[in-house]
Amino acid sequence: MEKNNEKIDMQHNDIINRSKDFTLLEMLDRVLNKGVIIAGDVVISVADIDLVYLGVKLMLSSVETMEQLKENKQ
Amino acid sequence: MINNLLYVYCISNNPLLLPSKLASSGLKSLVFNDFNVLYKLVSESDYSETNFLDIKWLETNSREHMRVITAAMEFGAVVPFKFGTIFNTKISLKKFTTDYSDSLIENFKYVKEKQEWAVKIYCDRKVLLGCMGKLSVEIENLEKTIAASSPGKAYLLRSKKTGLLENEMDKLCSEYGQKYYNEFSRMSTSANIANLLMKESSGRKDTMILNATFLVSKKNSDDFIKKANNFAKEDAHIGFCVEATGPWPPFNFISIKEK
Repeated sequence: MEKNNEKIDMQHNDIINRSKDFTLLEMLDRVLNKGVIIAGDVVISVADIDLVYLGVKLMLSSVETMEQLKENKQ
Repeated sequence: MINNLLYVYCISNNPLLLPSKLASSGLKSLVFNDFNVLYKLVSESDYSETNFLDIKWLETNSREHMRVITAAMEFGAVVPFKFGTIFNTKISLKKFTTDYSDSLIENFKYVKEKQEWAVKIYCDRKVLLGCMGKLSVEIENLEKTIAASSPGKAYLLRSKKTGLLENEMDKLCSEYGQKYYNEFSRMSTSANIANLLMKESSGRKDTMILNATFLVSKKNSDDFIKKANNFAKEDAHIGFCVEATGPWPPFNFISIKEK
């Protein structure tokens, strides 16, 4: 019984983000950067995906910076 | 546009009993030998380079990619594929599973009954600065010397203290980063260190001091979470912030050797 209570408390108080609300950057760090990566004639690979990824990362950085600047102004 | 290409999410080592909400969104599975491939049919234009540059499209589809793989994790070990991996035909997909069979089996063994957890540690240097008198013996001693010195000498020593503070804070951040990494590594099968993100990328005002992922056995995951919570409570007052996310599919711990 005590163990169950401990588990419930942990779920309420913990700092772990288990929700589906992970940041886009964290998501992209995995799905675009890791996992099975195959290059060969059996696969159509999206052209220059690593470049696209870097571009996205920069774009996200800019969006976040802009939002921060807005917040600071307010 | 004909949907005749196979977009692959992941391969599972167990037959996938697809949840109805996923099955209805066009998700299909194929079995080749002992491998269960989770895929959907797409057209060539669905995953064009232009789409990849559309942030809304990318967010919707990458989240879907992650959601499907996470759902598949409920049924067994998964080998996740990079977003946007598309095979021409079932024959080419089958050839891939045959050619890479040994590597896939090895990966399944490695990630079976394990989860990926991410830990990012940040330091609020303003808060840490306020604690340095207590945390650093060198700073503490220097402060004592300053207090006992003549005004002129104290002035010179104070400028020395500014430089020393920065060095000591860097040293402490590095020591704490190492401490967190060692503690979490001890509870994991494997660990990966990623590059520290600049504030512009992390979207935070404090400084990242550790960016790591850990492959944790499911039976240890509660202890892992407990440890993260304890660190968060113990070290918050000196400016350290522990942020943990998971469980993720084992993206960072998959390695398929290219032939």
